[in-house]
Amino acid sequence: MLSVDVLIARVNEEFGIGLQPADADVDLADLAEWDSVHLLRLVALLEHELDRVLPVHDIIGARSLRAIWAAAMES
Amino acid sequence: MRVTGPEGPWHRVRDAVAHSGSVVVHGQLDDWLPADLDSPRLRPLLGHDYARFEKMAHHAVRARFVASRLLLKHVACAIVEAAPETVELAYKPGGRPYARGLDQIDISLSHTDTLLLVGLTRRGWIGVDAELTDRPMLGLGTENQVCTPHEHRLLAEVPEERRNSALVRLWTLKEAYSKAIGQGMRFRFTEFGFGPQDRPVQVLRPDGSPGTGDEWTFHTFRVDGKYTVSAALFDAGFGDTSDTAAATMLDLGLIDALVDGEFADSAGGVR
Repeated sequence: MLSVDVLIARVNEEFGIGLQPADADVDLADLAEWDSVHLLRLVALLEHELDRVLPVHDIIGARSLRAIWAAAMES
Repeated sequence: MRVTGPEGPWHRVRDAVAHSGSVVVHGQLDDWLPADLDSPRLRPLLGHDYARFEKMAHHAVRARFVASRLLLKHVACAIVEAAPETVELAYKPGGRPYARGLDQIDISLSHTDTLLLVGLTRRGWIGVDAELTDRPMLGLGTENQVCTPHEHRLLAEVPEERRNSALVRLWTLKEAYSKAIGQGMRFRFTEFGFGPQDRPVQVLRPDGSPGTGDEWTFHTFRVDGKYTVSAALFDAGFGDTSDTAAATMLDLGLIDALVDGEFADSAGGVR
């Protein structure tokens, strides 16, 4: 997964929602279509794509998709 | 119980708290949505939340934010007998709301679809969560993120047509419990579990053995025929605090700070 834009495209495809690239830096609480189930599915998606178990505390603590992507890449 | 707007009925909410120490209140977004989201009247009602509200771009997010905070404030104020403008919401790390200065009530907030949900207790900690009962969760990888091995085995025994709603129930219970202990989703939901619906619910270890005792109680119920709502309640043994008026419940440290600061300076000391 090379960039947060790719992550957003994969999220849209998998979850059936319409996030925009500009949503990468928006606080998750301020995304109209986002909720905790999406967050859980995102963890599952990232673990599948990266083929490793992620540190949930770091992922959940991140407040934007870019921060989540960065935490996943750094783990 | 459902409350359809700021007019109440609040006596039922007060009676519930007087009787059991806790209450779960739900409302519909439209019932709590102000006619004008740009009205200056929202500034004192939202208090410190107004700055965050002002920056929100999406109408749906703004609507959900203001309606849920109004419901939460009105529920808290019904119990502490104060005006909504006088109670300030603040947030702990992780986003858990609390009523600043009112340290003897614990509150929890959830929303899904058009449902708003508030839990309040004066017995200890409370967490609430709501989800559409038919929200697809099964087969999307979520069960591997949600379920303990014990829960996987139990889910497999549930008839297929009820399996997704059983997973939604587990999800809301786990969300409610993690909110009550102030963790959100900060630890894996596969590290603790719950049993089936037909027996008293308690937290279980991943292997299905008991993880908590009688201090925790859990309830799951259906709201408006389409929402699964769960509440987790920790009884800290605070006892039966029947007087919950703000004047009685204000944190003494806060009162000291207020008196030492503003009033002491302007009135030459009032203590």
